[in-house]
Parts: sequence; C-alpha cells; structure tokens
Amino acid sequence: MIGILQAKFKMFLRNPWTFMLFTGMSIGFALILGGSGLTTISVPVYSENEEMQQSFISEKLEESDAFTFNWMTEDELKDEIANGRAEIGVILLEHDYRFIVGVDSPNRSMLEQTVRGAYVEKFQQDNILAAANATTDAEKETVLENLQETMESPVFEMNRSSFRSADTFVYDDTFQRLFGFTLFFVIYTIAYNVLPILVEKKDGLWDRVILSPVKKWEMYVANLIYSFFEGYLQVLIIFLIFRYWVGVDFHGRFLETLLVLIPYVFSIVALSIFITALVKNAQAFNAIIPIISVSMAMIGGAYWPIEIVESEFLLALSKINPLTYGMEVLNGIAVYGYPLEELVFPISILLLMGVVLMGVGIHLMERRHV
Amino acid sequence: MLELVDLSKKFKQNDAVKNLNMFIEKGEIIGLLGPNGAGKSTAISMLSSLIEPTKGDVRFRNKSMIKHPAPLRNVIGVVPQEIALYEDLTAEENMQFFGKIYRLRGIQLKKKIDEVLEQIGLTDRRKDIVKTFSGGMKRRLNIGVAMLHDPEIIIMDEPTVGIDPQSRNYILETVKRLNKEKQMTVLYTSHYMEEVEFLCDRIYIMDKGNLIASGTKDEIKRILSAEKTISIQADRWNDEFIEELKQNPTVNRVTVGEKEITIIIPREVNMFAAIIKMAENADVELNSVDVQTPTLEDVFLHLTGRALRD
Ligand SMILES: Nc1ncnc2c1ncn2[C@@H]1O[C@H](COP(=O)(O)OP(=O)(O)O)[C@@H](O)[C@H]1O
Ligand SMILES: [Mg+2]
Repeated sequence: MIGILQAKFKMFLRNPWTFMLFTGMSIGFALILGGSGLTTISVPVYSENEEMQQSFISEKLEESDAFTFNWMTEDELKDEIANGRAEIGVILLEHDYRFIVGVDSPNRSMLEQTVRGAYVEKFQQDNILAAANATTDAEKETVLENLQETMESPVFEMNRSSFRSADTFVYDDTFQRLFGFTLFFVIYTIAYNVLPILVEKKDGLWDRVILSPVKKWEMYVANLIYSFFEGYLQVLIIFLIFRYWVGVDFHGRFLETLLVLIPYVFSIVALSIFITALVKNAQAFNAIIPIISVSMAMIGGAYWPIEIVESEFLLALSKINPLTYGMEVLNGIAVYGYPLEELVFPISILLLMGVVLMGVGIHLMERRHV
Repeated sequence: MLELVDLSKKFKQNDAVKNLNMFIEKGEIIGLLGPNGAGKSTAISMLSSLIEPTKGDVRFRNKSMIKHPAPLRNVIGVVPQEIALYEDLTAEENMQFFGKIYRLRGIQLKKKIDEVLEQIGLTDRRKDIVKTFSGGMKRRLNIGVAMLHDPEIIIMDEPTVGIDPQSRNYILETVKRLNKEKQMTVLYTSHYMEEVEFLCDRIYIMDKGNLIASGTKDEIKRILSAEKTISIQADRWNDEFIEELKQNPTVNRVTVGEKEITIIIPREVNMFAAIIKMAENADVELNSVDVQTPTLEDVFLHLTGRALRD
C-alpha cells in the first residue's frame, strides 16, 4: 500500500498543474469577487454635540463589523463626500440622524440599519431608565448594571439564526466567496483524482495488482486516501493563505474551520467514487462532473447564499447536496460562531453520505467492471 | 502442468467462451489464435483467475484453481492487452512499483530491474517518462513489468497490437529467447497468424467462443490436406469470370479480393488449364496463377468461411 501511495505522490509532484490551477482559481475568485468584503467601509461622521463622540450611540456604531466610523468636522465631512472619498456621511443629532449621500449604493440601507439600530437601543434604554425613575447618575448606573445582569441570565432566550445585531439577514461577502469557491473547486480536484481508478481498471493496471500479493482493497484504500489528501491539501492551502496572507480572521475559530472541512472532503471523495461507478468511461465522467459540481454549487449556496433560493424543489434538492452541509458547517463556525456541538447534525449527514456513497460506489464498481 | 477443462463464460446472453479445453506443458510456447471478439481475452482472464468462469475448471498441477488461485497467481506473469502502466512515471519507476507489489526490495529489486530492462532493450531509456515512449517501447515495458517476479508461465494478450514491424520483431525474438534460455512457458494470444506460426509449438484456434482447431502447426495444416489453395492474380475482374469459378463443381470455395482471387479445390485436381481458358472466355487478363502451400489463414478460412482479419 505504501508503494501505491509512493507512486501516486511521485506522479503528483511531476504533474501538479491541475491541482495548482484549481487552487489558484479558488483563491482568485474568492479574492476578486469578494474583494469589497475584505475591508470595512469607512464612513465619515460628525455631530454638533461634542459629547456624542463618547455617547452610547457612538459605542454601538463602533461595534459594527462592516463599517468604520471616522469622526471629523462638518466641513471635512462634506469635503470627503464631494471628493468621492466616501459614499455616504452621517450627521448624528441627539434623537435623530441625517445622511449626506454622495453615491447611492447598496451599502446605504445597511448603514441605515446600523445607525437606526443604535438609536433604537438608546431609546429603549432611556425608556427603561425613565420607568425605573432613575434621575441621578448613580441611580442610572445601578439600573443599567441590573439590566446588564438580567440580560446575561435571561428567563428565556431567543436564538437568532441570522448574524450580527440587526435582525436582518446579512450577507458576509468574504466568507461567502471564500467558502463557496473553495468547496466548489475542490470537487474538481478530488474528482480528477478519483477518475484514474476507472482508467487504471480499464487498462488492466488493477488486474496486475490483484494478481500480485497486494490485495484489491489496499488498492482502493490507497487511492481514496490519496484523493482525500489532495483535496484536503487544496482547501488547507487556500484557507492558510486567507488566514495569514490576506488576513481574514475566522472569528478566532480557524482550527475548527479546518477540522470541519474533513467531513466535507470525505463526502466529496465518496461522491466521486459513486459517480465513477456509474459512468461508462472517462469521457462521460469528464462531461458529467462540471454539470454536477455547478448544480451542486448553485443549489448548495456556493455562488449565492442558500437563503436566496426560494423554490421548494431546489431547497429539497439542496438537502441531499453535500455542499449545502459543507457551507452550513463553515458558516456556522466562522460567521455565526456556533459551538461545534451545534453542528453535529450537518457533520453527521456529511459523514453518513460519505459512508453510504462510498459503500454503494465500490460495490457497483466491483459488479460492473468484473 | 496447466489445464483448462470445459471452461465457459457467459456475459448475459453472450457466450464469450464455450467449453474450452486446453493444456499447457512446461517449456512450451502455446498460441491462441482468433479474430477480434473470439473470446481470447476472456479465456485468459479466466485462466489467470481474474474473472470467474460460468462453468468448467482451471487446473494447475492437478489442483483446481477456481476457489484458491494463489498457487497459480504466484507463478504467472500476465501481459494485458492494453498498456497497463503509469504513463506519468519513468520506465524505472514503473518497474519499481510493479516489483514492490511482488515484495521485491533493495538490491534484489535493483538487480532484477537492470536485468529485465536489458532483456526488453530499454536500458538507455530507463529514466524517461513512459508517456514519451513510442508504441513499441510501451509494449516492451508492458511485457517487462510482468517478468520482474520471474514467472514460470507468461501469458501475453496480443502484445504486438498497433506497433511498427521492427518493434514487433524485437518482441517476437525476445519471447523466443526467453523461452529458449530460461525455459519460460508462454501462452501467446494473437490475431496475426504469422506470429503464432513463427513462435508456437502448439496452436489453439478460436472463433466466436468456440475452439475450432488445435494441435501442432503440421497437424492443423493437415486439416487442409484434402485440398489446396490456388491464387489467381489480375488487375481487374469481371462478373462473368467470378460466376464461372463459382459455378464450377470442383471448386469448393471462392474468395474475391481486389487483385486476387483464391479458390480451394481438391488436392488431386489440376485446374491450371481450365482457369486459363475461363479467363480467356471472359476477357480477363491474368497476371499469374499459383498453387499455394496452406497457411493457418487458409485453415481459418476453411473452417469458418471468413478471413482471420477483418
Ligand atoms: N466484461 C464483458 N461484458 C460483456 N461482454 C464481454 C465482456 N468482455 C468481453 N465480452 C464479449 O465477449 C466476447 C469475447 O471478447 P474477448 O474475450 O475480448 O475477445 P478477444 O480477446 O478474442 O478479442 C465479445 O463478444 C465481447 O463483446
Ligand atoms: Mg482480446
């Protein structure tokens, strides 16, 4: 078995171009198409009232992941907009806000939500303080502290499935592109590493091995380990580049992100074996792989978030698509910050799909090619 | 030493091999001749325990190999019909791989590789990637990797398909030499009768799954002993002449080619003058009329009514 792996690695080192092409494409697409998501949008902000800069509102705005608010004078702000260095500026009043719009863009509604959210929270807090009859600063402090404590140990809790403070779906471009293209392109790398099983069997290379003291299952295991390795190496390289070179922070869950890629890569190896067992020859395989991978990407949320898909039929299809679960676990960890325990379901599905597809695939292959 | 008894294989409704009986003794070169689709590869696969027969037995040293093929597997080397090599590796790396799966290691492996490379004449191309090889070189390597574990019996499935005549001769000579020098037993499959005629002591001829003749070259040719073949050559024919030949009661069979007509007639009949006369009557200008010694091709033609090659 070691000998088989050695031969495979020698071939890989001699001819790594396909592998590099797909790795490069994943990185390229994620970088180019996801470019805007990599940096936060800078928004000039001004208020007549100097205290606003230290207020609750300002604190809330700082928490935004998507925007960076830069304080400046009114003239500077107008200048920024006029020169096109910023699309929109915000003027904060005590109970209200104004936008100065230079270029109308999709960012505007997101910005509006962020700013409005801050005011709404401020308003709620003021109401609570009023209801508690707190007038002095010390009283306010106590009420707020109590409030904070109560919030941390609530009587009942509502889980929000969407990300960030605003109760709307937020489209995190960086992760969307990175995960989507990685999971999409790795299908090719894995599939093209499983295909040789079919070719080698047809040419009689496997027969030679079967006649030797080496067992057939060793040939299967070595080939599958190798395909898994190459697929995993690809996602590893891509994620390492994004983590350490581009500087994407996986919300502090980088290692877990790498971990949950394992079941996905495994399920794709199994899927490739299954497809290999169904097709007649290499040409058919080459024709069918792009169709399968592109459909998987479209209904699995690799090109656009699965939340956009509305058709009942496509949603049902997405339930048997490993890519859907791959996106779910990656988003779960890096975007929503779920603990691993909450992702046991999609991970189990991936592993189950892997085991079933691999079992059925090998069985079919043995029956058909004998 | 090795014996096939009523060996049969059915693929769905298709009888690929029907009741094949065959034996191979130590040191022989056995030919298995037949056109494409005759069932040669299927027979070889059953013999080498790669596919299970529908019926019949493979016996090696008087033991059935169907359920427990290990003793047979250890002593055979199989050269498949396709190039079964890693084309992205060098010749030497391929040999290392196939040597290792037979548990050869280190010095022993290295020595064996050197020896086989010499035998197949690829010593100076050992470091080259197989993909860059000519068809003939690939074929030679395909044979070479089957010899690394010193098999007693080597089984070759059409090892000369699609290569230049020079490589072909080289392979034929190599097979003959291995047999002479190392007493290697050879089962050689082909649809080229010249190869089988050149190499083999005994020959089995298959067609459509059936064994249609077997024996030594002379024995097989004696099938035709009651007949002889006459080759008639001309630049063009006309229907009148062909019809005349076909109508003639002494002519057993007529095969029409572009510039050659072969007819089979009883051995004792002399038709020379008659043919000349027919040609004159039909206005056909003959180039030559020859009596031929029968070839295996003629035997095949006689038995099946078709040419060996399509
Ligand atoms: N795996 C298979 N499944 C179905 N039919 C097969 C298979 N292998 C061979 N055959 C059929 O069996 C017949 C004999 O084929 P084969 O043994 O390859 O002939 P040869 O090697 O003499 O050209 C052919 O008709 C072929 O189509
Ligand atoms: Mg064949």
